[in-house]
Amino acid sequence: MARDPKHDILFEPIQIGPKTMKNRFYQIPHCNGFGSERPYSQAHFRAMKAEGGYGACVTEYCSIHPESDDTHRVSARLWDDEDIKNLSLMCDMVHEHGALVGAELWYGGPHAPCMESRCTPRAPSQIPSDFEYLTYPKAMDKDDIREVQGFYVEAAKRARIAGFDIVYVYGSHSYLPQQFLTPYYNKRTDEYGGSLENRARFWRETIEQVKGAVGDDCAIAVRMSTDMFIGEPGTQLERDCLPFVELVDHLVDVWDVNVSGISEWGEDAMPSRFYPSGHRLAWQAAVKAVSKKPVLGVGRWNSPDLMVDAIKSGKLDIIATCRPSIADPFLPQKIDEGRLDDIRECIGINLCISRWEIGGPPLVCAQNATAGEEYRRGWHPERFDQAENWDNDVLVVGAGPAGMECAMVLGKRGMRRVHLVEAQDDMGGHMRWVPQLPGLGEWARIVNYRKIQIDKLPNVEFIPSKRLTAQDAKEYGAEIVIIATGSYWATDGLNGASHDTIPGADASLPYCLTPEQIMVEGEDVPGERVIIFDNDGYFMGVSLAEKLAMEGKKVTMMTPMGHFMPYMHFTLEAPNMHRRLHSLGVEMVTYQLPTRIEQGRVVASHVYDTEGKEHEWECDAVVLVSARLSDEALYRELKDVIGMDALRAEGIKGLYRIGECVAPMLLSEVVFDGHRLAREIDSENPEVPKPFIRERRVVEREFALA
Amino acid sequence: MRIVVAVKQVGALGDEVEFTDDERDVAPEYLEFALNEWDSYATEEALRIRERLGEGEVVVVTAGDEEAEQALRRCLAMGADRATRVWSDALAGADPITVARALAAPVRVEEPDLVLAGVQSSDSIQSATGTALAELLELPRVAVVTKVDYDHAARRATVHRELEGGLVDVVEVATPALLTIQTGINEPRYATLRAIKQAEQKEIQVVDPDDLGEPPDRVRRMFVPPRGEGAEMLDGSPAEIAQRIAEIVRESLKA
Repeated sequence: MARDPKHDILFEPIQIGPKTMKNRFYQIPHCNGFGSERPYSQAHFRAMKAEGGYGACVTEYCSIHPESDDTHRVSARLWDDEDIKNLSLMCDMVHEHGALVGAELWYGGPHAPCMESRCTPRAPSQIPSDFEYLTYPKAMDKDDIREVQGFYVEAAKRARIAGFDIVYVYGSHSYLPQQFLTPYYNKRTDEYGGSLENRARFWRETIEQVKGAVGDDCAIAVRMSTDMFIGEPGTQLERDCLPFVELVDHLVDVWDVNVSGISEWGEDAMPSRFYPSGHRLAWQAAVKAVSKKPVLGVGRWNSPDLMVDAIKSGKLDIIATCRPSIADPFLPQKIDEGRLDDIRECIGINLCISRWEIGGPPLVCAQNATAGEEYRRGWHPERFDQAENWDNDVLVVGAGPAGMECAMVLGKRGMRRVHLVEAQDDMGGHMRWVPQLPGLGEWARIVNYRKIQIDKLPNVEFIPSKRLTAQDAKEYGAEIVIIATGSYWATDGLNGASHDTIPGADASLPYCLTPEQIMVEGEDVPGERVIIFDNDGYFMGVSLAEKLAMEGKKVTMMTPMGHFMPYMHFTLEAPNMHRRLHSLGVEMVTYQLPTRIEQGRVVASHVYDTEGKEHEWECDAVVLVSARLSDEALYRELKDVIGMDALRAEGIKGLYRIGECVAPMLLSEVVFDGHRLAREIDSENPEVPKPFIRERRVVEREFALA
Repeated sequence: MRIVVAVKQVGALGDEVEFTDDERDVAPEYLEFALNEWDSYATEEALRIRERLGEGEVVVVTAGDEEAEQALRRCLAMGADRATRVWSDALAGADPITVARALAAPVRVEEPDLVLAGVQSSDSIQSATGTALAELLELPRVAVVTKVDYDHAARRATVHRELEGGLVDVVEVATPALLTIQTGINEPRYATLRAIKQAEQKEIQVVDPDDLGEPPDRVRRMFVPPRGEGAEMLDGSPAEIAQRIAEIVRESLKA
């Protein structure tokens, strides 16, 4: 198919300083957990986006010196000549596809705890980090300023040698140049503090020096946060940023405009729960209005129509994507070919970001199971080899995210016939009802994408409204049987805090409810006062609290943990979720573990209590968000009751299970598990993942390996 | 007891369409082929009648080339007992009357108690083959059937016909008769992989058609109709387009 002419503008080249970018698709700097010390993973990951049509791909934050060491989190590094070698691989591989490649030069100040280098970071003023515990910087004197500016210049020269076309002087997410620009961080009284001109001085001088060093060969990019949303002390668009643009516009080749500081950077990397696509266009357009240079900006752009609108309305010149480029590295190519329904749209669940926040593991993606696996498992998001055992028929039981992904990939791998059999009347599993929780509508894209793909695959047949017994599955006629029956919420209060059930917790009682009873079965939550017991710590408890509070209930949340929704701190959803629940009057009770549930009350004790004290909370209903359990009944009956010998006698060569039928897990892991089995369905033992390449240093020694 | 079901392998359009060089049909590479949806309901209804009676035979018949055996095998996988395919090159792109002429002999030879067909095919949507077949077989015919109550001993059937506006016409018909079956009459069963594999092993009887006579009509040209003048294409940003749509709606509400 051909590109819709209304999207043509996205494919017009644009000049960025000395470089020409072939189109308007720009992969913004974002972390992936590879840095410069997993150079092959890094290079293959970025090059996949270049192959998919991106006009430019940039590193994650790229440290210029050991003083900016974010360990335990993983950044790229241009500390020495060895780092040049490692990152040059990324440059070469991205260049092969005709894309530009950029390095985001970064000095973190107090937000980089230097746990590997054991250096002391420097900052405009000595104030401990608002992001990292117990990290104090050294206040910079003028020698320090010149020295750090020298680090930028040296790193920029290394970047040029490595082959980078675009060199950043990165000043958002509260890193050093933004610290100088912002009174919240900069309390100086010398010529580097006070007036805007003074607060801008460090950044302006640094840009001048970097441009002087490499500006003939490399485009100079400036990433600038234009609002910290904390009022007077924070970075402000009109007071700080627009005058700064006017001051340095002549030195800058491209502006990369975003918002936020580091401690609430979910305002930048917006979860779909709170923000739609393009939510920072007003800030980006304001910079565009005063700059003569190209302006690019993120906005979780999935829709080519919205991209075109952002450019045609004069708000942006270049569409920068982070998460949509992870969910679908081939987004530009699919728009170019008019294959819009093949786009895996980012759902804004922020599991990618959660890995960086946790501190270092490679990124994951709920939509794209191949993200991060390009090198280490050799997976390509759009290419699927025909399976060696393609002439087998496969039965997949359960069309939740794992079953859908597995059936889709098996279909793309050319299995003769794949039957995806589902007890409900449509695909989706728990992702049919989870997106009905407040704010989670975009999560339904997990289902929609796969439904469309499965519908296109002639060798995959979806069979709804059919609940298979073990006998049915045995006699179904498949050579390979895959069980993907998901999980369910415990009905008896079983939880990971006490490793036990809660006396009196019983979802068959009218005042005890599970999430499914509320969301799927539509059961009435009796009375006005509801206690939600949450020992899950992710979205379910707080989402139900929001829903029930919006329906007029008086909601109290209770957890044995020290704080609520710990995982939503990693996904950057927690701050706004707290604001939301606070405004709805939801009461939050921490460190309390229910000891028994009775009609009308929950009795609980403090988890650190040693004297047997108990407290009572009166309530009309209790919602149990305590733990999930795999729905493994079908799998167990096939494996344990019928047995592999009897299955083999029916012609079944393999019985496997995937996703939450194995164990409850994050959505990204559910999809990965389904994908992984399908990718390796022709391996020697598909049940066990094949080893992946580990980028590590191996000592040169010889052993007789018996 | 024997029921014959006349079925068709239909082509469904994908995102793009190109026509054959003679411009009389869609080029086959732009079509995805499957059993006509109405025919899956007709087959299911036949299977249910056989199961209710506890005896009998369901025979599926199609006019089509070798590719069309895919549709027959789907019916066999659902549970049909036998399948017959009638074909000659003269049937390529044939009109419904000619197809009915081709089907008449192989259906007649089965001496059926009931003949079922879909109301229409999803590709050419003429709703004519079943009716023409009834005429050729000199059978009574009931169209757009949504319920069948077949009394084999009495050799009659009480059937519901779907009319406009939700009305139902209850008809008693002497059998043998031909019924054209509407979607929604039942829920067609899915074939298990085992049934599909077994259906692959079954032999399909292939017969030549009797004299087909002169075709009463033929397709002269197939084309994408030019865009009419009634449509106004709106250009601009989503916000501008939404604004313009709101204006148009407001204007037409005033008018």
